[in-house]
Amino acid sequence: MLALIVRRLLTAIPTLLGIILASFFLMRSAPGGPFDGERPLPPEVQEALRETYGLDKPLWEQAWIYISRLLQGDFGPSLVYRDFTVTELVAQGLPISLTLGGLAILLALLIGVTAGLFAAVKAGKMIDKSIMMLATVATALPTFVTGPALALFFGLWLGLLPVSGRGEGMAWLIMPVVALALPVSGAIAKLTRAGLATVLKQDHIRTARARGLPETKILFKHGLRPALVPVASYLGPAAAGLLTGAVVVETVFGLPGLGRYFVQGALNRDYPLVLGVVTLYAALIILFNLFADLIYGWLDPRMREE
Amino acid sequence: MTLYALQNLTVEIAGNQLVQDVSLEVEAGQCTAIIGASGSGKSLTCLTPFGLNSGSAIGSMMLDGIDLSNATAAEMRSARSQLTGFVFQQPMTALTPHLTVGAQLREAGAQGGFAFTRSDMIQKLERVGLSRADEKLDQFPHRLSGGERQRVLIAAAIAHNPKLLIADEPTSALDAALRSEIMHLLDELRAEHGLGMLLVSHDLASVEGHADQLIVMDQGSVVESGPVAEVIANPKQDYTKRLIAATPRLEEPPPVLSDTGEIVLETSDICVEFPKPGWRRGKVRAIEDANITVRQGEALAIVGGSGSGKSTLGRAIAGIGPVTSGSIFWENELLPERRNRSLSMRALIQPVFQDPVASLDPQWKVSDIVAEPLINLRSEILKPDRIIKVQQVLNEVGLGDEYHDRSPTSLSGGQAQRVAIARAIVADSHMLVLDEATSALDPLVGAEILKLLAQLQREKDLSIIFITHDIAAARRLCHRIVVLDEGHIVEAGNMGDVLQNPQNETTKKLLAVS
Repeated sequence: MLALIVRRLLTAIPTLLGIILASFFLMRSAPGGPFDGERPLPPEVQEALRETYGLDKPLWEQAWIYISRLLQGDFGPSLVYRDFTVTELVAQGLPISLTLGGLAILLALLIGVTAGLFAAVKAGKMIDKSIMMLATVATALPTFVTGPALALFFGLWLGLLPVSGRGEGMAWLIMPVVALALPVSGAIAKLTRAGLATVLKQDHIRTARARGLPETKILFKHGLRPALVPVASYLGPAAAGLLTGAVVVETVFGLPGLGRYFVQGALNRDYPLVLGVVTLYAALIILFNLFADLIYGWLDPRMREE
Repeated sequence: MTLYALQNLTVEIAGNQLVQDVSLEVEAGQCTAIIGASGSGKSLTCLTPFGLNSGSAIGSMMLDGIDLSNATAAEMRSARSQLTGFVFQQPMTALTPHLTVGAQLREAGAQGGFAFTRSDMIQKLERVGLSRADEKLDQFPHRLSGGERQRVLIAAAIAHNPKLLIADEPTSALDAALRSEIMHLLDELRAEHGLGMLLVSHDLASVEGHADQLIVMDQGSVVESGPVAEVIANPKQDYTKRLIAATPRLEEPPPVLSDTGEIVLETSDICVEFPKPGWRRGKVRAIEDANITVRQGEALAIVGGSGSGKSTLGRAIAGIGPVTSGSIFWENELLPERRNRSLSMRALIQPVFQDPVASLDPQWKVSDIVAEPLINLRSEILKPDRIIKVQQVLNEVGLGDEYHDRSPTSLSGGQAQRVAIARAIVADSHMLVLDEATSALDPLVGAEILKLLAQLQREKDLSIIFITHDIAAARRLCHRIVVLDEGHIVEAGNMGDVLQNPQNETTKKLLAVS
């Protein structure tokens, strides 16, 4: 177990490095630069700025400097928000994005697994068909539709929840988290149902039934865990989807999360800011995938052997 | 005392009567066996009265004074958990993968009203012959071998001291040596606890000497029933007679085999190594210095228990498995590794596998499956000739034109195995490597496949390597025998000589359980 974690973390290093370098060069090959405003600065000033931030050096050297600074934990200065370092900006946005993403995953699991379970138990009946239809609808609706729709309904018409920004307490979290969680929960419901339908036909369920166990106990003790294996494999990509999906939701609900910096940074060619956020996203996704692999082992001990 | 009685049981699934008018009785302390081919309704007969199938059972079903036909859900559960124990066919899948052996044994006991301590459970596992029981309690089922899992299932099935044990093909997934061990264990437990047992099997040989009453089923109905010895000595119905004739026995007179020619295949010091599983370094030797020869038109049996390396050796020769060192010669010409074998070399030796349905692509039509080797190995044959050739070969294996457009999933096991054999011989191969090709089939079907193989061998002068754990079946086809144990060839010789005068302990053991 520990060996697996160490091995996976070690292989994460070249992966991260590859992602950083690829984004570095990709971004530089895009036209424009951080100092091309609507009102262009005089050439001397631009030159001076480029020199200050080291942008006049050859690309490879810049990449090397960036990575060696990164190794010391320094994400560099922001080129657009000039009074802040990238670390400071990220430190502001990350807690909001993580709270949103984490709560959304938990909510999606709760809704998805419960719905999938009900559907599998009532397979073929009306309730199964309705749940599966709702799941399809939930998966198909993008967050930029559900977000504003929720805001319109609960915020403006009913006036129950804040529409934008962070108000008092926790109420501001509800709508963005629900909007983020809905599509994921639909997919999880479908995966849970399919997994359970397969598992409930397997021999060990018959053995459990032969022991005289009641059906609910068979379902929870013998059926559910192996049925969640496909859900676990979906969690890694789903986490990635939630992080990037958060960009839309944060914009819709006016939340100062990472996503906003990401989009703004990319538009403004704020190279260090974008790279910092990319690095962070990549690290989080790698962590989530590792976590999903650990869950595998718990769900089905046979997977620990590989 | 009659413990369990079925009268005029009918099983219906989706409006179809799959079992009709079956009556049987199980006496306390005795064993009633149901024998029949797959699809004869024998498993339905035993499991449906307990609600363990999707079908509905109609008729009188009395278990120890309880009428199962109108039991409530709770009564049915207690009939399952307290009065009855079940052992199923597939030990590999019948245990819950994410619960330890101990947790499952404890659950079985708890259902019957016993709270087991750890030492109770160790004792239960030791009783069914599981070594290092203490360690096994904390292990997950996948760490155990098939035989060990079946012992765990038996321990769990009798943990709550049931009165009736229902064993649905308890040994058919195990090799011959284990089969007889498990059957003896069940006999002992029956005597110890006064258990009544309902045993289901497709294999007549495996119930002889263990059961008291025999019921022969075919197509959902009872064909013949009575005390075992009487039915076998004096079968009245034609089906029973055919079943008895199809079951290979060592006592039967030796078969007349075709003549053999020159040596065609020779191996020299074949070794096969596999890396050890997990993170431990090192290698496992699956085959050590195997030297065998096969003549033209000769059938060689490679026999051994599970894990003896017999399949590994067969795969190495057929060029579909790894060879670590050593060489294989075909008519004194070196056969290189699979990747370096020319097309004509690949056509020489063709494999046939154990599970016929699983080894054919379900998306393909029968005629396409048989044509594929021709397209790849004999590309000089043009399409019109290819179609004729496929037709001809399918006829040779006894499949008429109506099978050409069927998909493998719509075929029975025997028909699918015929397709697999047709696929193997269509490119004019000179040798077949058959890996347990008859083991998964019903005895009647298996006997027909053996007959077909003998006929093809005579007509085409085919050489055959017949890998099996069943010496009695091998004897019907093979001239010579090689016995493997833990990767070593421990005995080799003419079939008749080895059977009459076995030298090695492994051979003697295998003969004793056949």
